Amino acid sequence: METFKYILKRIVQTIPLLIMVSIISFFIIRLSPVDPLAELKLNPSISPETVEREKQRLGLDKPIIVQYGKWAISFVQGDLGVTSTGEKVSQKLKERIPNTLLLTSLVILLTWLVGVPLGIIAATKWKTNFDRILTVLTSIGMAIPSFFFAVLLLMFAVKTGWFPIGGLTSPNFAEMNFLGKFIDLAHHLILPVIVLFTISLAGLQRQMRANMLDVLDSDYVKFARAKGLPENLVIYKHALRNAVNPMITLLGFEFAGLLSGAALTEYVFQYPGLGRLILEAVLKSDINLVMASLMMGAVMLVVGNLIADILLIITDPRIRVKS
Amino acid sequence: MIRRVFRALLVIIIIGVLCKACLVKDVQNPETHIKSSKNNLLATDYPTPTTVNINGIDYLQSQAPIGKFGGEIIFSTIGEGPKTFNPFNSKDNTSSTLSAIMYDGLLSTHPITGQPSPKLAKSYTISPDGKTYTFKLRKGIKWSDGKPITADDVVFTWRDIIFAGFGDTSLRDSIYIDGKLPTVRKIDNYTVEFKTAKPYAPFIRVLGASIAPKHIFMPAIKKGPKYFDSFLSTTTKPEDFVVSGAFKLKEYVPAQRVVYERNPNYYEINTNNESLPYLDKLIYLIVGDLNNEVLKFEAKEIDVITLQGSKVARYKSLEPHSDFDLYNLGPNTGTMYLSVNLNDRKNDKGKYYVDPIKQKWFQDLNFRTAIDYTIDRRNMVFNIANGIGAPLHTPESLNSIYLNKELKAFEKDTQKAKEYLYKSGFYTDKKGHLYDKDNNRVEFDLFTNAGNTEREAIGVMVKQDLEELGMKVNFKPIEFNSLVNKLVSTFDWDMVIMGLTGSPLEPNGGKNVWMSNGRLHMFNMRTPQEGKLNILSWEKELDEMFEKGALATKFEDRKKYYDRYQEIIYEQRPMIYIYSPVIIVAIRDKFKNIYPSSLGGITHNIEEIYIGE
Repeated sequence: METFKYILKRIVQTIPLLIMVSIISFFIIRLSPVDPLAELKLNPSISPETVEREKQRLGLDKPIIVQYGKWAISFVQGDLGVTSTGEKVSQKLKERIPNTLLLTSLVILLTWLVGVPLGIIAATKWKTNFDRILTVLTSIGMAIPSFFFAVLLLMFAVKTGWFPIGGLTSPNFAEMNFLGKFIDLAHHLILPVIVLFTISLAGLQRQMRANMLDVLDSDYVKFARAKGLPENLVIYKHALRNAVNPMITLLGFEFAGLLSGAALTEYVFQYPGLGRLILEAVLKSDINLVMASLMMGAVMLVVGNLIADILLIITDPRIRVKS
Repeated sequence: MIRRVFRALLVIIIIGVLCKACLVKDVQNPETHIKSSKNNLLATDYPTPTTVNINGIDYLQSQAPIGKFGGEIIFSTIGEGPKTFNPFNSKDNTSSTLSAIMYDGLLSTHPITGQPSPKLAKSYTISPDGKTYTFKLRKGIKWSDGKPITADDVVFTWRDIIFAGFGDTSLRDSIYIDGKLPTVRKIDNYTVEFKTAKPYAPFIRVLGASIAPKHIFMPAIKKGPKYFDSFLSTTTKPEDFVVSGAFKLKEYVPAQRVVYERNPNYYEINTNNESLPYLDKLIYLIVGDLNNEVLKFEAKEIDVITLQGSKVARYKSLEPHSDFDLYNLGPNTGTMYLSVNLNDRKNDKGKYYVDPIKQKWFQDLNFRTAIDYTIDRRNMVFNIANGIGAPLHTPESLNSIYLNKELKAFEKDTQKAKEYLYKSGFYTDKKGHLYDKDNNRVEFDLFTNAGNTEREAIGVMVKQDLEELGMKVNFKPIEFNSLVNKLVSTFDWDMVIMGLTGSPLEPNGGKNVWMSNGRLHMFNMRTPQEGKLNILSWEKELDEMFEKGALATKFEDRKKYYDRYQEIIYEQRPMIYIYSPVIIVAIRDKFKNIYPSSLGGITHNIEEIYIGE
């Protein structure tokens, strides 16, 4: 019951937060000097009447407060509006979200499956050669900018011809059988996954290692060892449980990055995800699309944090007692 | 010590090797070697398709060599892909290109001569008074679902979609003649007649617009404009498209590709009477930017690419041992110019748009002529466009069928420029600074839109050239929207570097720029309230030329008027033209029946292209 109340309180708290986010983003976009009609105005074959009509259609003739009000009302009713070219925003997002989720969830799954165990091993083998080599490798991983790394891999793909140059499926994808489709998808996913995996693995592994080292140094671990418990039990029962708490908070942030975290890599690899869509929308000041994506990002962040908090309540009895 | 010297030497050697690796070996001037479509291929080669009647059906018959059926060609489109597949709704280039593939018009443009050539129409006549256009349609040709294409479809398209204002209305807006739209009526099942209130030559170009199948579009029209805006959008199932073009939509994958398959009912046949197109599939990959497009071409994922100037030299050196050919399609329709603000009026607060001291300079023809002679176009083509461009002196692009060839190009001549300035009383002091006859230092702002590296580079070079005359130029690249605002509403600018794209077939599209009350008459822009206030004598003549040019119907008559308009700009120099980029296209050499042309590009005859051995 207590937990339930806590969750409810958290949800209510997010409402003013979301309103603030929406107001700030809306005004920043609208006050930026990008004029969605500039191209039209400079096209000799477009008549002034057409420009005027476009202006009305996009609602640019009304004061900014009215524009925001209109947007907010339809947003609350679940209508995300239409893009500047008249397509449904929800439809556009629906086309892209599965692709982005496929990429990001694959990466998160892989990094956690590899990163957490590596962190633990590195901590237990502290100051051995294994740990040192791993530290060097992860330093490199953290230091490479994802953009640069992605471009390098693309060049590699061009030179060797082993991998496709971006995209998600081959032109004849529709005619393949199930196995063929699976292989084709995997073939296209390898490079972007490698980029994102390398970069997030480094961070995660180091975080896990640091947590573990902290815990291993603490008194109760020393006590457990002194008590004569087998080393395995000390590490996996006593130390790990405590070391994993900060990771759960991290998981909340990872959740927030599910939809937006891979934008740069998606762009370089021409991956048909949200990244490209939103970049273009921002450049064209396509307000409904940009607002929808910003709100989505904000909601994901809030939900991610909430999930992390709930998980913490479950795993860490100390928090339960406090609240 | 010795060891240290040895190390230093080693480092120097490594650096030297690296530097050597970076040196680009000399490449011959690519312009001279690329297959120029201009001379050998273009003018003579393309065998124009003719109309033949077989079993009562008026086919279009390709005269090109017979090819093999099958295979696919992969193009690319830059950006986020199409927004709609409805040719009447498309507002951007990608959408119009991708939807026009499926819907043919009555006419298209002959890729070589630029004259209208029959497509869905078999033939057409224009009455002697230039007001009535009669079209004979092909008998017996079919939509992709097997229904016949008739006069009803044509009348429906023009009357009920275009004239009624459904979808994008810019086409309709462009054919209001004295506030009246043309009329269209069916004479019999295969004859349609258009009538305009006055003779209006540009109308014939508009008739290339796509024709819609009435039996598919009619229900959508009945549901009203709002429904029509989302009709045949990117979410429509490919089976629902009924088309007349050579290809029909097969699959659209957002942000990845658009796939077309051949339309078995297409009305063009080869000389063996087999129906075209040869290719089974036409694929457009949607790529985000130019760099990715280049990578995809090099990885053989796409078959055709238009090259940027800076890449041509490298591709030229690759060409001999590769699987693609380069074609030079000649200068494109883009024109880069330097415009001077001739505005001499005050805004509603009683303040001059342009400082009166500067007005005196800008309105002085000698001043503008001096600028024209100082600009080193050849140098800019060489340095900015990597030699892949052509100096430009006229407002019509170099591939325009209306280009006035009498207007001679000239080279930079600083001495001559100075003489023009001295004639108007300008003088330079000991430091070489230029002053006007009232002792004002000649100093002004030069704008362009920031972010366009080409225009920024031109700006820097123009500044350098003008400083040779002792002028002080403050070159200010500013944000695109602010620049547009200055040009079309606040008018507070001195000089600007911009580019416009014109039509090589129809100069009338530029009337908004050249007529004194035009919406983009930038160099002497008037507000709607001002009307034709303070009109200059040559502006008046420009107005006259554009009015007459639109009303005349014979090409030769129109050419006379448009020649004169180019001459006026050439003499008066309100806009000083700089250069046009040249288009270089690479295409895999396995594709045959390629007849590149400056007007039609490389794949204007897509239905005739096939894959050879």
